[in-house]
Amino acid sequence: MELFIHIIDDDASFRTALGRLVETYGFRVSGYQSGEDFLAQLPESEAGCILLDLRMPGLSGPELQDRLAQAVPLLPLVFLTGQGTIAASVQAMKAGADDFLEKPISSKTLRDVIDRALAHNETKRAGRDQLQALQAKLSNLTPREMQVFDLVVRGRRNKQVAYDLNTSERTIKAHRHNIMEKLGVASIAEMVSIAERLGRVQWIRPETRAAFFPKGQ
Amino acid sequence: MPFDAPVRSRRRAQNAVRFLVAILIAIFLDGGSAAAEVVGRSPRVLLLHPYDERLPASSIAGENARNRLIEATSGNVDLFSEFLDLSRFPEEAHIDRMARYMAEKYVDHRPDVVIALGESATRFIVNNREAIAPDAKIVFCGFGRDSASKLNLPADVVGAFSEFDIAKTLELAHALQPDAKHLFIIGGSAAFDRTWLDSARTDLAVASKDYATTYLEGLAIDEFVERAARFPPDSIVLFLTILADSTGRNFLPKDALAIVAAKASAPIYGPYDTYVGQGVVGGNSVTFESLGNAVAGLALDALAGKPITDIEVPQTFFADARQLKRWGLSESSLPAETALSFREPTLWEQHGDLVVGVIAVVALQGLIITGLLIERRRRFAAEGESRLRLLELVHMNQSATAGALSASIAHELNQPLGAIRSNAEAAEAILRGTAPDLNIIQQILTDIREDDERAGNIILRLRGLLKKRSEIDWQEFDLNEIVDSALNILHAEAAKKQVAVSAEQSGRRLPVRADKVHLQQVILNLATNAIDAMVEAATADRKLVLHTTLHGDTKVEMSISDTGRGIPKDRLNSIFDAFYTTKPTGTGLGLSIARAIVETYGGKIWADNRVGGGAVFRFVLPLAEAT
Repeated sequence: MELFIHIIDDDASFRTALGRLVETYGFRVSGYQSGEDFLAQLPESEAGCILLDLRMPGLSGPELQDRLAQAVPLLPLVFLTGQGTIAASVQAMKAGADDFLEKPISSKTLRDVIDRALAHNETKRAGRDQLQALQAKLSNLTPREMQVFDLVVRGRRNKQVAYDLNTSERTIKAHRHNIMEKLGVASIAEMVSIAERLGRVQWIRPETRAAFFPKGQ
Repeated sequence: MPFDAPVRSRRRAQNAVRFLVAILIAIFLDGGSAAAEVVGRSPRVLLLHPYDERLPASSIAGENARNRLIEATSGNVDLFSEFLDLSRFPEEAHIDRMARYMAEKYVDHRPDVVIALGESATRFIVNNREAIAPDAKIVFCGFGRDSASKLNLPADVVGAFSEFDIAKTLELAHALQPDAKHLFIIGGSAAFDRTWLDSARTDLAVASKDYATTYLEGLAIDEFVERAARFPPDSIVLFLTILADSTGRNFLPKDALAIVAAKASAPIYGPYDTYVGQGVVGGNSVTFESLGNAVAGLALDALAGKPITDIEVPQTFFADARQLKRWGLSESSLPAETALSFREPTLWEQHGDLVVGVIAVVALQGLIITGLLIERRRRFAAEGESRLRLLELVHMNQSATAGALSASIAHELNQPLGAIRSNAEAAEAILRGTAPDLNIIQQILTDIREDDERAGNIILRLRGLLKKRSEIDWQEFDLNEIVDSALNILHAEAAKKQVAVSAEQSGRRLPVRADKVHLQQVILNLATNAIDAMVEAATADRKLVLHTTLHGDTKVEMSISDTGRGIPKDRLNSIFDAFYTTKPTGTGLGLSIARAIVETYGGKIWADNRVGGGAVFRFVLPLAEAT
C-alpha cells in the first residue's frame, strides 16, 4: 500500500525541499499551498500523514484542525513550527496534533516523527477496517434479524423478545441462531461487543447490564 | 593785523610802535572817592581804547565789555568810546591834545566809570583824570600786577589783572603729548623777548626737569627755522615771542611764529591766543573776551555802589583743531574748558536732528536686522537640534519595530534555512542511492542558492530596519518601492497574526523626495498598529490593505486600512499625540513619530474610520517634480 505524506505549507521553496527529502524515504509526497487547497482535493486514501505549517494566512490553527478531523480523521497531523513555543505546541497537541516539528528540521527527526505518525495511522486504519468488516457482516442481517439483534444485545430474554415482536419464542430462537451464524460469533457476549463497537448501544442501562451479568455469574 | 595787547609784566621799555608798551610818568591825583550810585539818569561809561579801532585786543575786550554792560543793565547805560591812537601818535603833544579834547567833550557828560583797556590807556586816564572824569571810578584791564606796580596807580583805581603763566601752556602740551621727551623753548633777542625767556626759566624750573630742555635764543630767524626742522618728533616746543632776531630784524611775534611753525617737525605751543591760526597747537592765556567780561563786571559793581577790589582774569586753555589734526593729537586729551578754534563743525553739529534721525533709523534697522539674524541662527540651531532629536527618536522607533517584528523575522528566516537543510539532506540521500538522478541534484543546488539569497535579503531588510541616520539621506524614489519593502518586512508578522495583507498600488510611478528608511518606518508604524488592532477580529476577516494613489496633481496619497475596531471619534485627533497608546506594551510614540516624519517631508497625516468598520490612516506627501 502506498503511503502519502501531505505537506501543507505556503512557502513553495520549503515545501519542495521538504518533499524531496521525504521522497528519499520512499514515500509519496503531495504538497499544498494552504489548508483550503488540501480540503479542496482530499486524498482518496487515508494512508499516510499530514505535515502542516502552523502559521499561514487564511485557514489555519484550530479551525483548520477541526475541518481536517472531520474530513480525514485517520490522517495523523504533524505540526511544523518556526519556533516551537511551548504555548503553540500545547495548543496544537490539545487540538489533536500527533506531533510537531521545529524548523529547520533535521532528517533524522523528520524520519522518526513520520514513522511514528504512520504507525499511528496504521493502527487507526486497522481499527477502522475491523469495524468496516463488522459493519459488512451486520448488513447481512434481515430487518427482522436486526430487530432481534438490537433487543437481544439490550439483554431481553427470548420470551420477552417474542412478546415484544408479537411472535413465538421458538421463532426468536431460530433468528438468534441465524444471527450468530451470520456474524460468526459463538456467544451473546460477543454479539454485545460488536453492537457496542458499531455504536448501536451507546447507552447500556444498568438493568440491562445486570441482566447480562447476573449475580453469581 | 597787529596785536599786542596782553603784555607780560616786568617789561620795561619798548619800541612802542605796535605794542602796548609806553613809558609815561605816573602822576596821579587824589584817589578820591568813589562814584556812587547814579540816580535819576542812565549811568555813563567811557571805554578808553589805547590805539585805533582795528586792534583786535582792545576791540574784542571792549566789545565784550560793552555787551556785558548792556546786557546787565538791560540797555539802560550810556556808553562812550575813545580811541587814543597812541601807537601812531605816541608824542606828549598828542596826549595833551587828547586830554584837552576829552575834557571839553565830556564837560556836560562826565562819565561815572572809565574803563581803560591796556596799560597806556590806564596811564592816560589816571594822569588826566581831573580834567576828563573827576568823579569817575576808574577800572582797567590788559596787564599784570608787575606792570601795575610800576605805574604807581592810586588805590581807588581797580583792575582786572591778567597774568601769564607759561607753565600752564606746558601743562596743556603735556596733556596732549604725555610721552614727549624733549622740550624746546624759543625766544627772540629783543628786550621784551629776553624778559619772557627769563620769566620762563623761572616758571619752568620745576616742570622742565621731566624733559631734555633746550632754550633756543640768540638765533637768526633762518637758524630758528633750521633748528625747528630737526626737532625730534617726541618734542614739545614753546614759542614765547620773537620781536627781533639776533640780526636785529624786527617781527610781529605771530609772524615769526608762522615762519618757524611752517617748517617745525614737532608741535608748537604758545602763551597767546592770538597765535592761534599761525601754527600753534594751543596754550594758556587770558583771552580778550574774558578780559572784557571781567572789567565790565568791575564797572557794574562800581555803578551799583559796591566796593570793588583788584581781581584776576581767569586764564583759559586754547587750542587749534587744525593743528591737533596735523600732529595727530587727540582732542579728548585737552584739559576741560579748552577753547577750541577752527574746529570743523561735525556733521552732528551741522545737521544734528537729521543725523539723530538717520542714526536712529539705521540703528533701529540694524537692531531689527541683528535681531532677525540672531533669531534666524537660533531657529536654524533649534531646527538642527530638533531634527537630530527626531532622527534619534526615529531610530529608537526603528529599533522598537525591529524588536517587535524579530520573532516573525526569525520565523521567516527559518523558511529558507529549513529549505536549504532539507534540500541538502535530500541531495545526500539521493547521492547515496544507486544511479542518482543528477538533474534533481542540479535542481536542488539551484534551489539552495536561491534560498540562501532569500535568507540574505531578510537579513538585509532587518539591517535596513535598524539603519541609523545622523542626517537625512534625501533621495527621490517611487513610493511604491517603499510599500514593497515594508510588505516584505511585515509579511511574516502578518502571517503570524493571520492577517491577510494586500496592496493596491497605483500603476503610475509616485516619485517623492525623502529618506527611504524614514518613510518605510511610517508605513511600518501604521501597519503594525493596524495588525495589532485586528487581534480580536475573526481570522478570516483580518485584512490589511495598503493603497497608494495620486492625490490631485501635486501630491501622492498612501492609505493603510484595517478591519479592527476603529478609533473612538473623540480620539481621532489626539491619537497622534506623543504617549497616546492603547497597547499595554506600546511606547505611544509610533504615531507621533510617523506624524513628525511626514511633516518633515512637507506632508500631512490623519486618521479616520471606515464605513464598513475599522480604521484608515492616510498621509499625503508632495509629488517630486520629476516624473
